[in-house]
Amino acid sequence: MVFIFGKPFADPDLLRHSLQTFFGIGPQVCKRLMARHYLHPTIRVGELPNPKILQLNADLAEMKLENDLKRQIRDDIGRLRDMGTYRGRRHAMGLPVRGQRTRTQINTARRLNHVPRYTL
Amino acid sequence: MFPTRALWARSVWKGPHIVPLPIIRPKPGEKVPPIKTQARAATILPNFVGLKFQVHNGKIYNDITITEDMVGRKLGEFSPTRKKFTYKQTKNK
Repeated sequence: MVFIFGKPFADPDLLRHSLQTFFGIGPQVCKRLMARHYLHPTIRVGELPNPKILQLNADLAEMKLENDLKRQIRDDIGRLRDMGTYRGRRHAMGLPVRGQRTRTQINTARRLNHVPRYTL
Repeated sequence: MFPTRALWARSVWKGPHIVPLPIIRPKPGEKVPPIKTQARAATILPNFVGLKFQVHNGKIYNDITITEDMVGRKLGEFSPTRKKFTYKQTKNK
């Protein structure tokens, strides 16, 4: 059991999968983060030496993740809405924001576009 | 990587899209009529803050009061062009 950024992970887990469980870390950010610490892509959580864990934690603490990131996204959309922009209105209506067609296939917009977007 | 996506929209060397608008500085105690314009693509500049605009949406002129948040956006973003769909009951069946 290893704690990364306050979250427990089992030793045989892949590090890249563990990192990607955080909101705000996807494949690209994860790749860059691991390259910065000289970690190969298939390293497992249990193989991490202790100083590396500390360095990773320090890096993650500087990044905007999880609820902080969600709050930022929510506030950005809220600002668009309060200003009365077209983008804000589309978010509030649950419709595509960037000029996509709305005749069919707007499931992603229906799922995501709300004001407020995330409930924390 | 790119510094910010906003820079992708328009070349930096062009600067903001500036449209010559008839802006009059209000003298104290004098009322200024809103600026009527069809230039929806005009960038909102910092010196617009507090002014009133009437922006065309293809049919009518919508009233907009510029606030500080709106700087850097376009006038047209605040004047919606689409009518909301409403179902109309047909009488002849």
